[in-house]
Amino acid sequence: MSLKLRKLIVPAAMAFAFASNAHAADDAVQMGAVLSLTGANATVGEDVRRAVALAVEKVNAQGGVMGKKFDVIVEDSGGNATTALNAARKLATVDKVPVVIGEYSSGITLPMAQYLVKEGVTHINIASTSVKVRDLGATSFNLIGLENLGNKFSAADAWALGYRNVALIAPNNAYGQGVAHGFREEFEKLGGKVATELLYTAGQSTYRRELQQASRSNPDAYIYTAYGQESAVLNREAFELGLRQKPWYAILLSMSLSDTPANIANGQLGMEVGSVQGANGKAYIDAFQAKYGQAPKTSYTGYAYDAVMLTAAAINKAKSTQPAAVQAALKDVGKNFAGVTGPISFDADRQRIDPPYAKLKYDGKVVPR
Amino acid sequence: MFEFIVATLTVAGIYGIMALGLNLQAGYAGLLNFGHIAFAGLGAYATGITIQAGGSPLTGMAIGVVLAVALGAGIARLGRQLGADYWGIATLAVAEILRTVATNEGWLTGGANGISPIPMLFDALPRPYDTLAFLALVLGVLGAFTWLTKRLADGRFGRALRVMREEPKLAACFGYNLRSLKSRAVMTSAAVTAIAGSLYAHYMSFTGPDYLLSSETFALWTILMIGGIGNVWGVLVGTAVVQGAYTLVPFAKDYLHFSSDSAGALRLGVIGLILLACLMWRSEGLVPEKLRKMA
Repeated sequence: MSLKLRKLIVPAAMAFAFASNAHAADDAVQMGAVLSLTGANATVGEDVRRAVALAVEKVNAQGGVMGKKFDVIVEDSGGNATTALNAARKLATVDKVPVVIGEYSSGITLPMAQYLVKEGVTHINIASTSVKVRDLGATSFNLIGLENLGNKFSAADAWALGYRNVALIAPNNAYGQGVAHGFREEFEKLGGKVATELLYTAGQSTYRRELQQASRSNPDAYIYTAYGQESAVLNREAFELGLRQKPWYAILLSMSLSDTPANIANGQLGMEVGSVQGANGKAYIDAFQAKYGQAPKTSYTGYAYDAVMLTAAAINKAKSTQPAAVQAALKDVGKNFAGVTGPISFDADRQRIDPPYAKLKYDGKVVPR
Repeated sequence: MFEFIVATLTVAGIYGIMALGLNLQAGYAGLLNFGHIAFAGLGAYATGITIQAGGSPLTGMAIGVVLAVALGAGIARLGRQLGADYWGIATLAVAEILRTVATNEGWLTGGANGISPIPMLFDALPRPYDTLAFLALVLGVLGAFTWLTKRLADGRFGRALRVMREEPKLAACFGYNLRSLKSRAVMTSAAVTAIAGSLYAHYMSFTGPDYLLSSETFALWTILMIGGIGNVWGVLVGTAVVQGAYTLVPFAKDYLHFSSDSAGALRLGVIGLILLACLMWRSEGLVPEKLRKMA
């Protein structure tokens, strides 16, 4: 037993030394972010991390927070709930940050945010669209449109485009299951029919079987959503099988087409959580482009940027980093706050009112329609 | 900071219990189980589903143990006609099947969203005593299983398993029923691991299909290979080293001012380096198994 104890105490003591040193080193106002820097969604995580870094630069260029330097401690979620929860624990109990933003996948955000809410730490959701986000509790704020609104939007859009009998293709995970079931519900409410519903297993080398199964129901249109790499395969095979004679409509178009060649992607319609809006949005995209040499790859970066800016504004207003004070200030600041994703206002449940959505099409690149 | 250490120790303790379970099969009996996490998953899901249906935590844990032992018996039967390496692949498949079922049978398992919230066991206690009580429970279970598996290993059962591992024909000549030995090893290991899975579900207050990813099994194998396969103390040391590395990297990042984009990769890299170093210089692990040499 003594050997085990020693082995446990030594790292703990080292951790303590590290932590106290880090605190002594810089006297900055800090908040936290848990992002998927490794794992299946590392591309999104890195994209969002860049937005966070950009926001920190902006805040510091404007004089920081409460007259001090502002900083965001970014932790890796590793794309799994355990690592994310540990990261949140570190941020809440060691770094004692008042606000934590993240994660990407709903399956990770939910347990992590439940922990943060229990600790009284503020959580800001920037990317997860599960409807369960609404019920997280008193210290959780949400900036992005949840899937009930997204499904309503895409179902109404598909109906308006004249589709009546559709095939639905989505990945078999929390996101895909939510979209498939939600879209069907909203579309059937309007009087439409979902002829086939296909939930595919991610990471396959071919989806011909699924596509052929979908085509047998002879739909007027294919409604689909898929992560970049997988939809590259899906789109190519649909093209080869001649399924593209019917219209293709992508839920989250830019995510679905991120890795598909332009000649195959051309002509697809779709929708997206609104990425950026107005002059603020344009300035943000320009700054991102200038710093990293490329535009953001996903729509989530704008929400992360806004979350950091909102937090900085709230801490400035509260003149305190006490979570309760910051939460009260967030509610005040969150009244028509000029974000890069458009004006931000929270309702009584701390959910964003009228989160933006966009109708898009692919014509050489993703453009509004 | 204090709470963070408590949390780290709790998670390490739970992984330690799972690794002790794997060690029973892989270490003593030499069974290459690549689907070990299935037992923990059953424990976690049994707890989640029972709690959701209004049952008590103890019932959930008991159901998990029963299911895991049944699965263990099934897997051991599966091994009857398969060579050790083929059996390993079959176990991997079993765990993947369970994960697919957990993802798709939404009415039972909550689908890809998983089951939450599952109450922590000591929510009634004031802070920080709730987390401390949970840590005490985990360490208690870890201690009990350490003692138990040590006793098993040093007793007749453990010796029989080792003979079977090293010289199966000799073991058969000694009159051991190899199939029964394997089954008992897998079933005991399943019970131990299911309890860990159940505790994990309570601690995270969440159960999801991600718990059943094969990478989790390989994380346990990493613990065994670093610490010393077949040695109880080795398992505990391996747990401490791997969990320590996982926990320390984020602090090292803050301290050494690494940029956060490399910190995630660093964490994986450090574990890989430790594993490689162990394989090269301490291929038996940090605390190797001591075998009595026959002259």
